[in-house]
Amino acid sequence: MSRRRALEGVRVVDFSWVRAGPWATRWLGALGAEVIKIEWPENERGRLPSTTTPQGLEVNFNTSGNFNDTNVNKKSLCLNVRSARGLEIAKRLIAISDLVVENFSSRVLQKWGLGYAELCKVKPDIVYVSMSGYGHTGRNHSYTTFGPIAQAVSGLTYLSGLPDKPPAGWGWSYMDDMGGIYGAMCALTGLYHRNLTGQGQHIDQAQMVSAVPLNGPGLLDYTVNGRGSRRAGYPPGNRAHWPGTPLINNYRGPTVAPHNAYRTHPGGYNDWCVLVCQSDAEWRRLVEVMGAPPWATTSQFAALSGRLQHQEQLDKHIEAWSIRLDKYELTERCQAAGVRALPVQSAADRVERDPQLRHRQMYLPIDHPALGSRRVQNAPFKLSRTPAFNHLPSPLIGQHTREIVEGLLGYGHHELRAGFADGTFWPTSRPRLPYLDEMLR
Amino acid sequence: MTAAHIQPGPLAGLRVLELCDEKGQFCGKLLGDLGAAVIKIEPLGGEATRRVGPFLDDIPHPERSLSFWYYNTSKRGVTLNLETADGRRLFRRLAATTDVVLETFQPGYLASRELAYEPLCTQNPGLIMCSLTSFGQTGPWRDYLGSDLLHMAAGGEMASCGYDEADAPGAPPIAPGGGNAWHIGGHFAYMAILAALMHRAVTGQGQYIDASIHEACALTTEAAVANHIYRGETLLRQTGRHHAPARTPRTQFRSRDGTYVTALVAGRLNGKYVKDLATLLDRYGMPHDLHDPKFEDPAEIAASASYIIDELVANFIASLPAEEVYHAAQALGFTWGAVRAPEQLLDDAHLRDRGFWKQVEHPELGRSFTYPGEAAIYNGSPWRISRRAPLIGEHNMEIFCDELGLSRAEFSLLVENSAI
Repeated sequence: MSRRRALEGVRVVDFSWVRAGPWATRWLGALGAEVIKIEWPENERGRLPSTTTPQGLEVNFNTSGNFNDTNVNKKSLCLNVRSARGLEIAKRLIAISDLVVENFSSRVLQKWGLGYAELCKVKPDIVYVSMSGYGHTGRNHSYTTFGPIAQAVSGLTYLSGLPDKPPAGWGWSYMDDMGGIYGAMCALTGLYHRNLTGQGQHIDQAQMVSAVPLNGPGLLDYTVNGRGSRRAGYPPGNRAHWPGTPLINNYRGPTVAPHNAYRTHPGGYNDWCVLVCQSDAEWRRLVEVMGAPPWATTSQFAALSGRLQHQEQLDKHIEAWSIRLDKYELTERCQAAGVRALPVQSAADRVERDPQLRHRQMYLPIDHPALGSRRVQNAPFKLSRTPAFNHLPSPLIGQHTREIVEGLLGYGHHELRAGFADGTFWPTSRPRLPYLDEMLR
Repeated sequence: MTAAHIQPGPLAGLRVLELCDEKGQFCGKLLGDLGAAVIKIEPLGGEATRRVGPFLDDIPHPERSLSFWYYNTSKRGVTLNLETADGRRLFRRLAATTDVVLETFQPGYLASRELAYEPLCTQNPGLIMCSLTSFGQTGPWRDYLGSDLLHMAAGGEMASCGYDEADAPGAPPIAPGGGNAWHIGGHFAYMAILAALMHRAVTGQGQYIDASIHEACALTTEAAVANHIYRGETLLRQTGRHHAPARTPRTQFRSRDGTYVTALVAGRLNGKYVKDLATLLDRYGMPHDLHDPKFEDPAEIAASASYIIDELVANFIASLPAEEVYHAAQALGFTWGAVRAPEQLLDDAHLRDRGFWKQVEHPELGRSFTYPGEAAIYNGSPWRISRRAPLIGEHNMEIFCDELGLSRAEFSLLVENSAI
């Protein structure tokens, strides 16, 4: 395709690892930036340990499925940045790049001699996005975090659960996902600003801090009304309100019932659907879909106040109906009648069954040298002129070292060989992978 | 702080029209707080999101919704009735000089009013229009209705969140609260708009963006999709910790003050970890046997994991308030954290050091309130809340008369005819 990409001509030096940083740069790559991932096998985290290597394949640097999905659209340069030679090469690369992204602890790049002041000497208008746990300023900047800790400390974990139970929390590193997206947003915003003003800058994104603005209305309820969230009936599970507790908004939209998850046929682990009626009219439509059973037409459920008050009964009745239907059938029937319903979907449901995601081509295959043809997740937006798409599989470790060192940076082949011999491009103590040997011919 | 000498935000000069309900108001705030000049266009009487609580002093009123306040900072507001020809004409005039239109109507609505991207961009070829809807503009579900809970279900968030059977027998999958479907969708829409702006800066061309909240949510479950694609595994929901194909040791422990601490221990236990844990327990005089030389042997550590986690760590955390555990453990390098209620963040010294909390004036009330601040510090072009959420039609005269050039007579006529 000869079409121009949104980030055509933008080069990204990507020191990031594990999940949040790589998830950020993946999207910059999908939008057309050239993303060069700098990594080092001796302290690699993201490829290994791998829990997503297909059964039957050896677990090694190049077989993690999750790494593949998280690192499409990038090239890999293996470089020992802790060596003088490696540092010099990194600087030469930064000098011809637009953006530096990393998600180490707060002082790591500085210790390497690549703090913002140093980066500016190499490339005065560089945009530098640091994605640390707690940020580069503030007394706890050296605290360590993964998604679950950022979520706990920021108040996000507490939002999820049933009253009088421990927090259910988030069953994954939501703040690696959202922190990653924030990193990409910061990068784009910094580049936009640089294009207009000629000024680069250091953008200090912090995973724990990024989670706090996601609690806005609840925080205002405290700072404005003085109401905290350690209270009866909070968090209200999947409901908007827990019956028998004070009638207060719980920060997930209008206070309505029904608003819950219900079992569906045949009652398996993920056989659930959710139903929400945001008005009496929507409730009446649901009653019609259910075949207007006598219980549903009694006056106690006719008005919102009654449905909220008698929610336990209401939910039991609804579930006695929903359990007879497959979750997709229930969804279709409800939505055809203008009732808000959708299935709880596992990953398998989304990838294999969801007709909308299929229509929108959310999962398209891409060939990977070790993993074969695999579907990877696409962008959730369609840009009419510059569509985002995955154009490269995740790189094998060090796959593009020669291309970058000789092709982009202009070093001679003998310098590449010397760098392999002295441990700049691959640890001398570690056997070279066949494609690395190939590079040295 | 005086405004005069403060640098502009990174999006200064960018003009945005926002026609959004709960699906897109957060994206408008993201743009506005970073310096864009956002005009929120509401139907006469105000956007429905003004009716979402909680309300100031629990008095329901469209100008007192704290939810609306939060999601609509740094925007000016006008009312405009797109059901009238005059209202549509005014909208076209606004759209002729804007950079971005962000809208969340049901697919097809704007086209039915001849306000789709195609006619609008002929008068303004650089226009970027982002439609952020529940399911996107195409496909079998495009006309389906959504809600935060619905997106958490179909997007896969719920399939990953919930309880160990022992903690809550028979519990359903749990949708985390807080309206995060709108946050997830808003973040991706922001990304798409900025990408379009980067393209426009080079080519001068605008474009249309069809963004889907369902797709954004479906992307936001970390490795769940990879687990399916590469290993065909179904993931189990677990209390306060990651989904997994098979049960994993717990990471959430009750503290003395009745709250919880998340302590990542399993999978990290090695000789150094055990030594550091001994130091931590010693510091609080907790009895333990971790100095026993047998814990230098990795095999012994592995065999004792359940003892270390479910007895030593659990008992240690049970003996102290959560905040104390959090800071004492982090000081020794442990990746542990207190499970806080959001309001506890007001006391967080680290956030204070970062100047996180902002005072926002509500001049009509003669009061100012504390708002959450920025996700990231832009050292060269600061984030800021430039104004509180607009009142209904607050800037009608400023924008329609002073900026668009309507005469007072024309303005009055439009008001009389319910166009604005």
